[in-house]
Amino acid sequence: MTRGLFVVEPGVLSTVQDLGRPGWGAWGVPASGALDEEALRLANRLVGNPPGAAALEVTLQGPVFKAVGDALLAVVGGAFGPAPGEVMPIHDGGTLALTAGPGAVRAVVAVAGGIDVPQVLGSRSTCVSARFGGFQGRRLQKGDVLSIGEPFGAPLPGRANVPRPPAGDVTLRAMPGPQEDLFDPEARAAFWAAAWRVLPESNRMGIRLRGESLGFVETSALPSEGTAPGAVQITAEGQPIVLLAERPTTGGYPKIATVASADLGLLARTAPGRIVRFERIPVDEARRLLAEREASDRAGSAR
Amino acid sequence: MRQAGERAWLLEWAGDESAANAKARAAAAAVRAAAAPGFLDAVPSARTCLVLGGPGFDASPLAALEADPPAAPPGPAPRAHEIRFTPDGADLDEIASRCGLTPEGFLRAFTGLAYTVGFLGFTPGFAYLYGLPLAFHLPRRPAPRLAVPAGSIALAGPYVGIYPGATPGGWNLVGTTARRLFDLRGAPPFLFSPGDTVRFTA
Repeated sequence: MTRGLFVVEPGVLSTVQDLGRPGWGAWGVPASGALDEEALRLANRLVGNPPGAAALEVTLQGPVFKAVGDALLAVVGGAFGPAPGEVMPIHDGGTLALTAGPGAVRAVVAVAGGIDVPQVLGSRSTCVSARFGGFQGRRLQKGDVLSIGEPFGAPLPGRANVPRPPAGDVTLRAMPGPQEDLFDPEARAAFWAAAWRVLPESNRMGIRLRGESLGFVETSALPSEGTAPGAVQITAEGQPIVLLAERPTTGGYPKIATVASADLGLLARTAPGRIVRFERIPVDEARRLLAEREASDRAGSAR
Repeated sequence: MRQAGERAWLLEWAGDESAANAKARAAAAAVRAAAAPGFLDAVPSARTCLVLGGPGFDASPLAALEADPPAAPPGPAPRAHEIRFTPDGADLDEIASRCGLTPEGFLRAFTGLAYTVGFLGFTPGFAYLYGLPLAFHLPRRPAPRLAVPAGSIALAGPYVGIYPGATPGGWNLVGTTARRLFDLRGAPPFLFSPGDTVRFTA
């Protein structure tokens, strides 16, 4: 019998995600992949999977699954439970109801063996906007049955430290540019000094922020250019959008700054309504932070 | 060359946009063909080529590539496409009159030209084509439509664009084609690649 997860309740936006499909940008294909890569890697490691195995990204509300055959799961990210950072066995016919505590926004649920959906353009990630990849190119619905692959290796014992946002305002480290020079000195200063509120209109393409407008930005003459993960676009209304894994591959808004890759997972875990601030760091520092995180991913020192 | 975060580099060219785009395409093809360790993606667009690299990617050769992009980029040869379309675009009459032509006159001129796929973006398979004469460069519509018909061939600024699916869109609609621009059952799944040439027949 094929082992799987029966979707009893789908939650708000639950999708299959892995590390995404970079490499197709020249054809307009968003990379996609888990918004919180750190959570994906850790959850997979807990259940004995390779770090990039396909898992579920859940949003705001906990889905409910019923196991078809025995399964091992781990929940990692923000205020989601139960048993964050621990491997949970679910026996055939048993149910798992994810709990979403205050401030829960995104988490990854990994299953030993990974979610078994076909690879599309080299990845099992769902591209929600273009409706392909993942489970039938869409978010999960009630009654879906997700197949689970053969287990890769032994699960890790004990409990891992699960990354979550700090209690107060969230600080995102960021580098200026690539188009900081299109903004006048007042707008630049205001961007780095301001408190920005995370809007509920955020999605897998980008986190929308609102604060005091940086003023009108002339964008009509800007040619389209490729977008990097973490780029902070400023809209014509002077408000920031931080671009995430499913961002369109090109865009014409000016980017005042780029969030360090090491802090993108933190942003993905930061709930609507919270305040974020940007801290200016040099590129070398961002590189060091990323290398540090990658080393800790490999070594498993998060435990 | 500008930095776009710690793992992205923007190579950029000034001057005439379609000439700059040709350099961007050549640079992107060269970086892709080199397939250096840690390379993730190279995205050509109007005047830039964005290079994304993961751990271990060495960006030091990129400055030389910006200074001197290859004249004949490596990779598969560009393909020539003929796209048959129906001139049923909601804006055809208005486009023609803004160009100082009758609809028939506009279509004759439009189908007589050769276009180049400059880049793709916005949504999978959406192509930006160069080759319009200056007289046909029109502004976007003041209010975008919530959904344009799938396969719409449309004009905005220096570009002819083709919408792969029914998406919101603010471009001026000339007509529609039944050709699929992005079809995962196809091999390759994309009709167009950067550098391909296109002619339209009504």
